[in-house]
Amino acid sequence: MIDPKFIGRKYSPMTYEVCKEKIKEYARAVGDLNPLYLDEEQAKSSQYGRIIAPPLFAAIYAREVLENWVLDSELSLNLPMIVHGEQEFEFFKVVKAGDVIATEGRIAEIYEKKGLNFISLETISINQQGEVVTRAVWRMVIRR
Amino acid sequence: MIKTKDVKVGDSIPPLRKDVGKYQPILYAGASGDFNPIHIDPEWGKTVGLGGNILHGLCTMAFVSQMNIDWLGDPGRLKKLKVRFVSPVKPEDTITIEGKVVGKEGDAIKCEMSVKNQEGTEVMINVASEAKL
Repeated sequence: MIDPKFIGRKYSPMTYEVCKEKIKEYARAVGDLNPLYLDEEQAKSSQYGRIIAPPLFAAIYAREVLENWVLDSELSLNLPMIVHGEQEFEFFKVVKAGDVIATEGRIAEIYEKKGLNFISLETISINQQGEVVTRAVWRMVIRR
Repeated sequence: MIKTKDVKVGDSIPPLRKDVGKYQPILYAGASGDFNPIHIDPEWGKTVGLGGNILHGLCTMAFVSQMNIDWLGDPGRLKKLKVRFVSPVKPEDTITIEGKVVGKEGDAIKCEMSVKNQEGTEVMINVASEAKL
């Protein structure tokens, strides 16, 4: 069992500069060919004025905090046994190419259910204007 | 782009089918930086009891996001998305996402989706989204 004393443990903000080429790479990798993510001309004439990131690009700009969490030596999570159990996203603002996103994390839950260990991280991502763009909960299950 | 007045509870959302390529987990690993060996190494996947390598849950979730946005018309309309991963998606699976509108209040709508593989097994449950039109 992961010690519940770690609930509330914080992971300091990590910043990520959103690059249009990375957005294109991501969109192609997931097979989502929406021109707003890929076509600069069309994106320019859209309400957003430039290439925007798909909502789940949150997985990219939050990545460093998630890594700091999963690899936190004090938690000593059994890495090969970790699987993604649940995921929640709340989107407040569209993320655009050129944005600088800072994401911080906090351990929201640690519990045991049916003999399995669960641990979740809540992340908040903020853009360069100080606006919250995304809130997410990443819930992992430790298999046995 | 769909308008509030054209959406009613019970409406179906156009389904999305995704043929997961043999190298889809490699592609997603490259784009996301998540090179966990359970995703990219079939041998390791077998060793840890998964029967092979499995696709990143967030990649399958991106398919669900795409399905919602293809229908909503504007990525900015999607406000919430949540899923529970219950069965791994494997290379060369075919994933079908279907959904319907389950709630509407003003211009805020709620939808629920089903996400199944080619055998009809649900790979995610509790798949729900919220959007603002």
